[in-house]
Amino acid sequence: MSGGGRSRCPDCGCAELVEDSHYAQSQLVCAECGCVVSEGLLTTTFADEGNLREVTYSRSTGENERVSRSQQRGLRRVRDLCRVLQLPSTFEETAVSYYQRAYQHPGLHAARLQKKEVLVGCCVLVTCRQHNWPLTMGTICTLLYANLELFSGTYLQIVKVLGLDVPALSLADLVKTYCSSFKLFQPSPSVSVSFVEDKEKMVSRTLQLVELASESWLVTGRHPVPVITAAAYLAWRSLQPGSRLTCSLSRFCKLAGVDLPHPAYLRVQELLAILLRMAGQLAWLRILNLDKQTVVKHIGDLLQHRCILLRQAFRDGAEEEEGEEQPQEEGEEAGSSTLEVLEKKRPASSPPPLLPPCMLRPPKRPCPTPADPSITGDEDISDSEIEQYLRTPREIKDFQRAQASRQAVPGAPAPS
Amino acid sequence: MEEEPYLEIYLDRCMNQDELASTSSHLFSPIVPYDSYLHTSSNQETIASPLEPSKEPSTDLSSVDLSFLPDELNQENTEQTLTEGKPGVEGNHEIQGAPSRVQSLNEKDSGGICTDDFSLSNSGLNPLSDGNSTLPSPENSSSGFFPLTSMTPLMPVTPVSEGSGIVPQLQNIVSTVNLACKLDLKKIALQAKNAEYNPKRFAAVIMRIREPRTTALIFSSGKMVCTGAKSEELSRLAARKFARVVQKLGFPARFLDFKIQNMVGSCDMRFPIRLESLALTHQQFSSYEPELFPGLIYRMVKPRIVLLIFVSGKVVLTGAKERSEIYEAFENIYPILKGFKKA
Repeated sequence: MSGGGRSRCPDCGCAELVEDSHYAQSQLVCAECGCVVSEGLLTTTFADEGNLREVTYSRSTGENERVSRSQQRGLRRVRDLCRVLQLPSTFEETAVSYYQRAYQHPGLHAARLQKKEVLVGCCVLVTCRQHNWPLTMGTICTLLYANLELFSGTYLQIVKVLGLDVPALSLADLVKTYCSSFKLFQPSPSVSVSFVEDKEKMVSRTLQLVELASESWLVTGRHPVPVITAAAYLAWRSLQPGSRLTCSLSRFCKLAGVDLPHPAYLRVQELLAILLRMAGQLAWLRILNLDKQTVVKHIGDLLQHRCILLRQAFRDGAEEEEGEEQPQEEGEEAGSSTLEVLEKKRPASSPPPLLPPCMLRPPKRPCPTPADPSITGDEDISDSEIEQYLRTPREIKDFQRAQASRQAVPGAPAPS
Repeated sequence: MEEEPYLEIYLDRCMNQDELASTSSHLFSPIVPYDSYLHTSSNQETIASPLEPSKEPSTDLSSVDLSFLPDELNQENTEQTLTEGKPGVEGNHEIQGAPSRVQSLNEKDSGGICTDDFSLSNSGLNPLSDGNSTLPSPENSSSGFFPLTSMTPLMPVTPVSEGSGIVPQLQNIVSTVNLACKLDLKKIALQAKNAEYNPKRFAAVIMRIREPRTTALIFSSGKMVCTGAKSEELSRLAARKFARVVQKLGFPARFLDFKIQNMVGSCDMRFPIRLESLALTHQQFSSYEPELFPGLIYRMVKPRIVLLIFVSGKVVLTGAKERSEIYEAFENIYPILKGFKKA
């Protein structure tokens, strides 16, 4: 902060005056002789506070001089991001400390500005994860206008470099936060009364559906948000099926004011398939011959007994789960008839295995055969085999001519 | 057949035994049904002939003291004593059952997944060791069940362990070699059909050969990287072929410091794995971010291998410099993953 109108040193007459702070009081000192030209000429914190103007701590101490401008900017960004996300104040301190630690590492110190920007998001994400605050990477990338690839690379790098222990994203908290962001809880011009839903009921039912999905292998290895969208959609429909059965997934997302993630369509289908198999175990639902639309009406009942129904409807891995009692056995046989109607795949009277969808689909390619063990690596290489890869002199000339003519044409692509 | 000389040595020893008759009655033990050995009877005819001249009728052999042999061969002979009384004597063939089974074990050991065969032979052999506890001879009590494979010559490094029975298959080998001469990449790209060179994109020639199906990056300093081979020997052969191509183009290429830099293997557990639980219990080694990648990244410390574990049970192992590291890593992870088998 150099003021205007520099004077000369009264002692030696040199014009080199340096502004130096002595115990937070700014002084103008001559560089040659060290004579203090003036004290408190420029505004000081003391003077400021005397005039009832607030001075921030970081400006009253010399701490910012030690930190580079780029790092200062990054730290400011971290604080801003925490404020935008409305995180508790303790998170801010932690995130700032992570950023400072990360900045020391040579790989990140010399990174491009884009990466340092993404580093801000990574620090905030790590802090949130450690406090079980459900923040998704997608949210941060949207806020920072960053692309997910760069974010993922930086995130994995920083976790490895700092040796951080980052717990997994807690799905239950994410459900609550995600559902709370829906705009379905009050009537509005776009949301008619029949579409408005009680928040507690919706959140609890979505939670149950998400638990069901994770039990039946629909969550492992997949992005969590589309599963939650699909579960919320089914829960919302099932709470008032009369008016909502005809509402499509995209329309639901528009009403709720959230983005529709593309995998949500598949998740809805997978969840409905699981629910249909469970429905086959209940006597009073078997006779109704449910399909993907009508099963939604009975989701409440199915969820109430979801543990038992899931166990009955599927066999656990390789073993056959035989029902001990009579009605259960009948249930399985009749259930399998529904299955046959719907799927036409399973052999009669054997419940399908409960496996992740990727294992249920048939393999696309046959497994390749292992290499011949008799090769030693030192076999003779015949000349003819090598010559098949070389161009004859005539071919070379032709190729060169072709290249030249291609280059002669303006705007030709570079030769390979 | 490698078993012949061993069999002859054994039979010679039998001939030299004087005390024979006493132990025969104790060897009777009806634990294993006779039928389990019948499947090997088809191989008997070929092995029967060399044994005929040196062998007395079955009754003499059955009374031989066989305590110095591994347990299955002992039991083979006890079954023989059993069958003496039965019509349709196939006892003769029992003694040949063991070597033929050894042979089949050998063949199956050398490659592929052999869970079924191994478990069959295991279940077939295990009751024998139980049965042998009744034998009074002192030498027997010290030997537990030791596999037949120790008696016969084997292929080196059998990758199948007692634990898993699954062998990871190598999918890719990356190796480097120094051709030790400066290369003119433009000339190579001009004169070789299988080369591509785009200096604006990458400063090396990308060359491909068909057999074995591999790709090489050839740099102007003379260094070369060879990728795509399925085994170490194939990688070496491919690198030599690339070097030969460069030689034929007129450069004084040599073949120095061939080194395998990375090996990638994959295998299938055939059961689904709860990745969330695995990430929770092995937090210090695992990195599971479903938002970024569907698999769990497990960084094993010893050996230093990175494993990608997927929910379908498929495992990819990478970062190895030796084949044994991949097998070792798989044997280390197999019991861990088996613990997560039941959902």
